[in-house]
Amino acid sequence: MVDTTKNAIPFEMAQIPGPEMAKTYMPKVIGAIIKKAKRPLLVVGAELFDDPIMFDKMIEMGKMGIPIAATAHSVKGFVDRGYLDNVYQIGLHPLTSNLRFGDWMGLDGKGQYDVVIFLGIFYKFANGMFSTLKSFNRNIKRVSIDRYYHVNANMTFGNMAFTPDDYHAAVDEVIAAMKK
Amino acid sequence: MATSKGSFSVEDMKNVQINIGAVVKEADEWDQPMGPFPKPNVATLRNWDFKLCDRYKIMYSPADDTCTLCTYGPCDLTGNQKGACGIDMAATCGKIVLLAVLIGTCAHTAHGRHLYHWCLDRLGDMPFDMGDEILVDAPLTRTILGIKPKSLKDFGEALAYCEEEIAQLLASCHTGQEGFYKDFESKALHSGMIDSLGKEICDMLQTVAYDMPRGAADAPLVEIGLGTLDQNKAVLIAYGHNLAAGAEAMIYTEENNLWNNVDIGGVCCTAIDLTRITETGRASKIPANLGPKVKVAGAMGWWRKMIRADIMDAVMVDEQCIYCDVLEDCEKRHVPVIASNDKIMLGLPDRTNDPADAIVEDLVSFKAPGAAILDPVKAGEVAIRVAIAVKPKRAQFKKDITFNEQQFKETLEKCTACNQCAFVCPPHIKISNMIAEALKGNLEPFSSTYEVCVGCQRCEVVCPQEIPVLKLYEYANREYIQNQKFTMRAGRGPVTDTEIRKVGAPLVLGQIPGVIALVGCSNYPNGTKECYDIAKEFVDRGYIVVATGCMAMDMSLYRDEDGKTIWEQYGGAFDGRNMVNIGSCVANAHIHGAAIKVATIFAHRNERANYDDIADYILSKVGACGVAWGAFSQKAASIATGFNRLGIPAVVQPSSVIYRRTFMGRTDKPEDWMVIDAKNGQMQQIEPAPEALLYIAETKEEAMLEMAKLCFRPSDNTQGRGIKLTHYCDISMKYFGKLPDDWHIFVRDVKDLPLMYKDQMMKELEAKHGWEIDWKAKKFISGPLRPADVSFDPTNIARKIRTKK
Repeated sequence: MVDTTKNAIPFEMAQIPGPEMAKTYMPKVIGAIIKKAKRPLLVVGAELFDDPIMFDKMIEMGKMGIPIAATAHSVKGFVDRGYLDNVYQIGLHPLTSNLRFGDWMGLDGKGQYDVVIFLGIFYKFANGMFSTLKSFNRNIKRVSIDRYYHVNANMTFGNMAFTPDDYHAAVDEVIAAMKK
Repeated sequence: MATSKGSFSVEDMKNVQINIGAVVKEADEWDQPMGPFPKPNVATLRNWDFKLCDRYKIMYSPADDTCTLCTYGPCDLTGNQKGACGIDMAATCGKIVLLAVLIGTCAHTAHGRHLYHWCLDRLGDMPFDMGDEILVDAPLTRTILGIKPKSLKDFGEALAYCEEEIAQLLASCHTGQEGFYKDFESKALHSGMIDSLGKEICDMLQTVAYDMPRGAADAPLVEIGLGTLDQNKAVLIAYGHNLAAGAEAMIYTEENNLWNNVDIGGVCCTAIDLTRITETGRASKIPANLGPKVKVAGAMGWWRKMIRADIMDAVMVDEQCIYCDVLEDCEKRHVPVIASNDKIMLGLPDRTNDPADAIVEDLVSFKAPGAAILDPVKAGEVAIRVAIAVKPKRAQFKKDITFNEQQFKETLEKCTACNQCAFVCPPHIKISNMIAEALKGNLEPFSSTYEVCVGCQRCEVVCPQEIPVLKLYEYANREYIQNQKFTMRAGRGPVTDTEIRKVGAPLVLGQIPGVIALVGCSNYPNGTKECYDIAKEFVDRGYIVVATGCMAMDMSLYRDEDGKTIWEQYGGAFDGRNMVNIGSCVANAHIHGAAIKVATIFAHRNERANYDDIADYILSKVGACGVAWGAFSQKAASIATGFNRLGIPAVVQPSSVIYRRTFMGRTDKPEDWMVIDAKNGQMQQIEPAPEALLYIAETKEEAMLEMAKLCFRPSDNTQGRGIKLTHYCDISMKYFGKLPDDWHIFVRDVKDLPLMYKDQMMKELEAKHGWEIDWKAKKFISGPLRPADVSFDPTNIARKIRTKK
């Protein structure tokens, strides 16, 4: 079991937003939250190209029924692996812009999401988009399973940017918890 | 009594004092009637701003959750809650955005004010003459103020207008003044417009005073790169944005035949402007053809690499984008600094009134690390004399400035791989991994990330071992630095009327797929190469690609397989498949100007005091998109906001989220995309084009796809839409491996479909989107949002509805 609650320091150290800062959680707790969500959305970015095994892990989650928003050009990674069943190509910026409106019907037209799970996104950008939701749509739970401590999320791992094996194991534990 | 404008009679009047202000006789000289909004004030164009904001929803990404602007604070605004003064998070973000845009606007306007006084003092008033090919001169001044300047002095009126608006806008930021976010954004848009005007004033003043190119597609190629500075001569670096003192250094060098003794290199926009001086051969008080004698050392992002590479002997700073520790960096390396502008004095003594000999003596003997000299003539003379005299004296310190192999290795060994540097590095370079590789003898990671490093120095600040990471970079890349020798086309200045006549129709109808404007600074998410990649992608596709400032410089640092820089690969005309260097940051105004001129020259719209009409035309009909891929400063915020008010969308890099505010349309809300058809006054639904005004892209691939999409306009004819869709789909296939999910939204007619994908798309339209297709006639029976209509005249302004005469 990987302890993902350590190193709760903003990845860019000066990103200290204010009184409300993210809490770190163990993978099994985050997995259970995702499993319990009624309308979860996995949001993955172009940093997955730096660690391609993550595409496979995301496809595993996609196959469990979690729709995937592939931001930047990350959809190419899913195209290359032949998996596009519930993968949507959309920029993180327009996606977050839509997420802030309660009446948005989602990428599949079935309604707004209740939990968004970010990973593989340029840190500062993801942090800013979490910040938008933090102030302007608090009905959506903000979860990060990225390798960074994401200060503006509700739930996040601690920093694991320099321990890739632990990070991969942590994501596997999230997936395992979702399967339970 | 006054009888009409410009005339009055005086009868039976005694002891009457008559004060005559400006005499209005424009009606005689300009056949356009005065438009509805001469010199718009803070609220005049609010309706236009609200139209923009209603379609392009204001989106905030707070950089912090508190407000500390007054003594009630800090107030926690998390969740858009209110602070003690009653302001909420949205309005607080709006206030910060307005302040940032105002800072940028002030920088450009104050630059213009300085140049105004300096040019008139130094060179006297001069006719405002942009040459035979530019009759619609100063388009922003005409559109915003409703005046046509006749001489440089006339720009004083425009400056006074800018300054009044800035004061009013800044006042609204005081606690207890404006409190509604949307009004803050209207004010920010107003400030952005003032910023564009301030830039135009700057560039028009210097273009005329320094006889710079006036729309020269064949402006000369000048040398760029750290390796171009001749180390056998003394090297003076002129760093900043205001050419006044740098130009005087050039004039002093020319008049004293010193070019064999000294090289002058520019950093940041001063570099571009110095290369533009006296290039046209007109009569001038300044020596002829000076520009190509100076070199462009590099963009602002290269400064800290440059000073560590020991390629300079003296530095003269002027204003804007100068690192605050420039003096500290220079003093450590015995490089004397001259501060030539009162906006940046660096704590140096003001020696403007001291004899030049005395200042030179103090700087050359290192008694003082630098001097503030606010007279550009004296600053220029002192800078050249100091550079030449100090060069031999600096030789004794050279061994302390750069590493030798042993020092390099010893420094590498200090690293404990604590990774504190990686926690603060903007582009997330894994510095400890790089050092570990270098210890094994592999310097490749240091080479491949040299251009990715933005030179912020945060790694050095946090390193517990005090490792000078940038100095390591310098050692590992010393050969590259010596060989960094490229060419860049000198800034050509405004787009000519004849060029607009040629491209107006194909641009508005879509046959030229768009104007791509690469503007701004050096904080790239993944290195300078991405500037080149973006420019190359679009110029090869036949777009008109224009560039200014640091992006123009950075894209020069690469060659194609034939060894040509991007400026050598393409012509410099404002036309499809051309690569246009407009000039420095202030020359961005000519990009606004080109868009305005499409409305005036091609579409015969009156621009005079008619800003919202012109902006409405551009938003609906001129396919243009800006990209600020390295945006870092408040000026970038004001530049983008100025583009946005004029109806031009922009794409920015991911760190730009720190600017806090963007404008994003809701493509799922058809009611947001209703416009008036000016030919009959009926409302018409349009496709979401352009879908955003300010868009943050995560990667260059996403940026390019979005830029292609943001060039769509409702006015595209079927051929034009087909061309634009082809590029949009091609870019998606190339970088994303699939067609974009939303291509069908932009299809109005079978003829809109790109030939390459036509059959595949028609099948998909029927099967996936439920469109009814007459396969025999190859026509849509139902499905598109609207039919393609060549007579469609989209507008967002009711007064544009045509009335029968």
